[in-house]
Amino acid sequence: MTPASDIPALSVRHLSVAYGVRPALWDVDAAFPRGAMSAVVGPNGSGKSTLLKAALGLVAAESGHVLVMGRPLREARRDVAYVPQRDTVDWDFPITVREVVEMGRHPRRGWFRRLTGEDREHVDAALERVGMRGLAGRQIGRLSGGQRQRAFVARALAQRADLLVLDEPFAGIDARTEAALLEVLTDLRDAGTSVVMVHHDLQTVRDVVDHALLLNVRVIAEGPPAEVLAPENLRRAYGEVAGVAGAPAWAV
Amino acid sequence: MGGLIGLIPLPYPDAVVALGAALLGITAGVVGCLAVLSQRSLVGDALAHSALPGVAVAFIATGAKDPAALLAGAACAGLVGAVLIVGIERGTRLPPDAAIGVVLSVFFSLGIVLLTHLAHDAGAEQAGLERYLFGQAAGLLERDVQVMAVLAAVALAVVAAGLRPITALLFDRGFAAVSGLPVRVLELLVTALLVVAIVIGLRTVGAILMVAMLIAPCAAARQLTDRMPVLLVLAGLTGAVVGVVGALAAARGQAPAGPVIVLVASAAVALAVLGAPGRGVLWTARRTVRARRRQRAEGVLVDLETAMHAGAPPTAAELAAVSGRPPAQVRGGLADLAGSGRARADADGRWRLTETGAAAAHAALESRTLWAAWLEHGAHLGLPDAREPDPRDVRGSLGDVAADRLMALAGGGRR
Amino acid sequence: MSDHLVIVLTAGLVATACGLLGPFLVVRRIALMGDAVSHAVLPGIVAVFVLFGTRAPLPVILGAATLGVVCVLLVDALRGTGLVRQDAAIGLVFPMLFALGVLGVHRYAESAHIDLDATIYGEIAFAPFRVWEVGDLLLARSAVIMGAVVALNLMFVLLFWKELRSTSFDPDFARTAGFSPALVTRLLLVGVAVTAVTAFESVGAILVVTLLIVPAAAARLLVDRMAPLVMAAVAIGWASAIGGEAVATRLDASIAGSMGLVAGVLFLCALVAGPRGLVARAVARRRRPRPGPLLAAGAPGARPPRAGGGAD
Repeated sequence: MTPASDIPALSVRHLSVAYGVRPALWDVDAAFPRGAMSAVVGPNGSGKSTLLKAALGLVAAESGHVLVMGRPLREARRDVAYVPQRDTVDWDFPITVREVVEMGRHPRRGWFRRLTGEDREHVDAALERVGMRGLAGRQIGRLSGGQRQRAFVARALAQRADLLVLDEPFAGIDARTEAALLEVLTDLRDAGTSVVMVHHDLQTVRDVVDHALLLNVRVIAEGPPAEVLAPENLRRAYGEVAGVAGAPAWAV
Repeated sequence: MGGLIGLIPLPYPDAVVALGAALLGITAGVVGCLAVLSQRSLVGDALAHSALPGVAVAFIATGAKDPAALLAGAACAGLVGAVLIVGIERGTRLPPDAAIGVVLSVFFSLGIVLLTHLAHDAGAEQAGLERYLFGQAAGLLERDVQVMAVLAAVALAVVAAGLRPITALLFDRGFAAVSGLPVRVLELLVTALLVVAIVIGLRTVGAILMVAMLIAPCAAARQLTDRMPVLLVLAGLTGAVVGVVGALAAARGQAPAGPVIVLVASAAVALAVLGAPGRGVLWTARRTVRARRRQRAEGVLVDLETAMHAGAPPTAAELAAVSGRPPAQVRGGLADLAGSGRARADADGRWRLTETGAAAAHAALESRTLWAAWLEHGAHLGLPDAREPDPRDVRGSLGDVAADRLMALAGGGRR
Repeated sequence: MSDHLVIVLTAGLVATACGLLGPFLVVRRIALMGDAVSHAVLPGIVAVFVLFGTRAPLPVILGAATLGVVCVLLVDALRGTGLVRQDAAIGLVFPMLFALGVLGVHRYAESAHIDLDATIYGEIAFAPFRVWEVGDLLLARSAVIMGAVVALNLMFVLLFWKELRSTSFDPDFARTAGFSPALVTRLLLVGVAVTAVTAFESVGAILVVTLLIVPAAAARLLVDRMAPLVMAAVAIGWASAIGGEAVATRLDASIAGSMGLVAGVLFLCALVAGPRGLVARAVARRRRPRPGPLLAAGAPGARPPRAGGGAD
């Protein structure tokens, strides 16, 4: 019987996902440890976002399975908070920052119940943590890019989940917000939350992250960042272009 | 229902039409918001056209005497169409508008074929088609309105009850899915609500114009509020008012109700888009003009300050030459400064700053220094929260504590 | 020429005119603008009759083109305020214009025999009976006019081929090359307006929209490049015309409706049986190697092959 701390926060086995004819992920095995900050890195089109989405059931996988805290996703939904990429949000949507964050309480509370005092405390705490308490009444269109991302991270914080999954959380964000949010994430990690994020900046990964996965449709390397980001591995990941001879026929 | 109709201070047939139009307006207004907010308004257009095969079958089978059968037929066909649209979108690389266009036109063609193939009375078929396409509010019966009222009540109740999950779905489908909400079921529910709204409206405005009744109330109401619950209520109200006003105007003018209602709705949108306080085009334009004037005045203020330091108080022309600003701008700016008591011209046409002006110039210069300092040092400022400075008033928006720290970081500025 | 032949010919010409423009609408994701413009031309027809007292083709076409431009400009203006989204703008503007048209017909044009239903679904059955006498020849009027529109559209497409193609696939690059995607879109939609109004008489608004979108969409499922796309769209349009006429005769149903229906069936065939269709994808899924041995044996990282192709 494995001790609880040995069960990975998120693990995938033989995960394959194809969009049309071209595989986006091919036979991916990965295990992201509990209570650690993990990053998924790789070049554009390497399947990083797809990995997260398939793990969370947002895209259909051709094969493979996913465990969250050692349990199937449908049993463990309450333990996961997800911060998606911001590119499809309609900023004119009539919703305030506070209402966005309150959305984070409903998966736990039930969608048809009103929020309790305890819920509101969690919401306020989340807003405070990302520095958005003073802006909570604003409609989301009236915020800067960094402020918007803080609101979405606050929603995830309000969920009080054990596993936090973020897709490119720092894309298109000013340096100050990036620093602030990174601090929030490391504090969470220190308090025992597991964090898994797709990230593009290898230097941050070296400095801050405990566990890295280097991906290019299939796994190149996994483990401590110093090992994973070794030059040999990086060349295999970033130096390979789809269509090079030797790659499978469908990769062209 | 008869009692309600009796309350309306209009001749009976007009009262029935008014009530029917009001029901259409409320339902289409509220439910239409769901389509507009998810940027799928034109799916409503497709559903309205897709209903024809169902209407045709029901029309032929029951001889068009049974409103419930027509509604049921329209609803079934509409739902099938909606499912197909989603199927084509997800299953092919066709863009969503092409999927909508394909289902819209093919279903409509199917409807025409059914109608012309099965009907043996060309006149009746023509009348039925015309009524479907263009609506026929004038012939509304109390029984029709009863059916509409029930449908409307059910639809609105469903929206009210399911507002939170529906809002979550419309705003962020990915989050909703991961949270465990049954997104496909919810989407089907929203589609079903759309079909109900359309089915209510087909009778009054017809299939071609129906889409406007789904969009217009929401588009107008959105200009007046940022809050979702308020938006839905306002949209429903707008729809009802537009419906009633349009139907009654049409009755007075002896014109078909559908087009008049749509024109009233379009006018409502135009009014809201132009004149909504804070958000409307006219307000934004006025704000922009004012902001430009303010900026011009501030620029001239700073130039004047600099010029006064460099030498004698300048005339307007000298100021223009030395600052590089077009003379017309300088004159306009000086006029504004004089009006606000920040500058004064003497008998020779030479301009000086007043005390107020000097203080304002100092504040403006500090703001520029602060803004430059923010750009360079902002990340290291260690602000306690997510506030960001307004370039026009950095000290005011950041607060004194942060502003002082910025000045210190910037080395005290250049003055 | 037999009646059937005239009908098929006229419809085929409509299909050609639409098939030349439709693929660009689909690729540029403005298929529904085409739908909107086709409806928006109605007030143009009415206005020309009311203001100039004529229903002659040329002024009517000019009126339609004007309304097409008005429709596009209004949609752009509404969207440009930032207060209304693109799809909502479309769904507001064309019903407003169409409503104006309906009221105009109701008020002014009862005597002009602008049959409202016919503008929607046309009456191509009458095409053989509307003729012009030229010398000894009896020419079907609709066919001649449609032929002229086909020639116009063809000229447009050939002349602006480079612009059309580059602004369709990469508008940003096209802008740096000096093309204006917005202008090309406007010209395209004016072409749609002209096509729509001339085709109204024979096939009505809905079949015009159908022939604009459905053959192009079906073609899009089959081919990838622009020139084959246009040719395929025209071909599928002709097939719909020929097939539709046969179906209508057999079922004693609306000819325009049947043509639309046949177009739909052809779309379905492309969807299911095309090279990228459902069947092909199911087959490819079955054939694709299961996760397992990826590299040849002996290469670094290779794993020994699993028996049976490896189900998990």
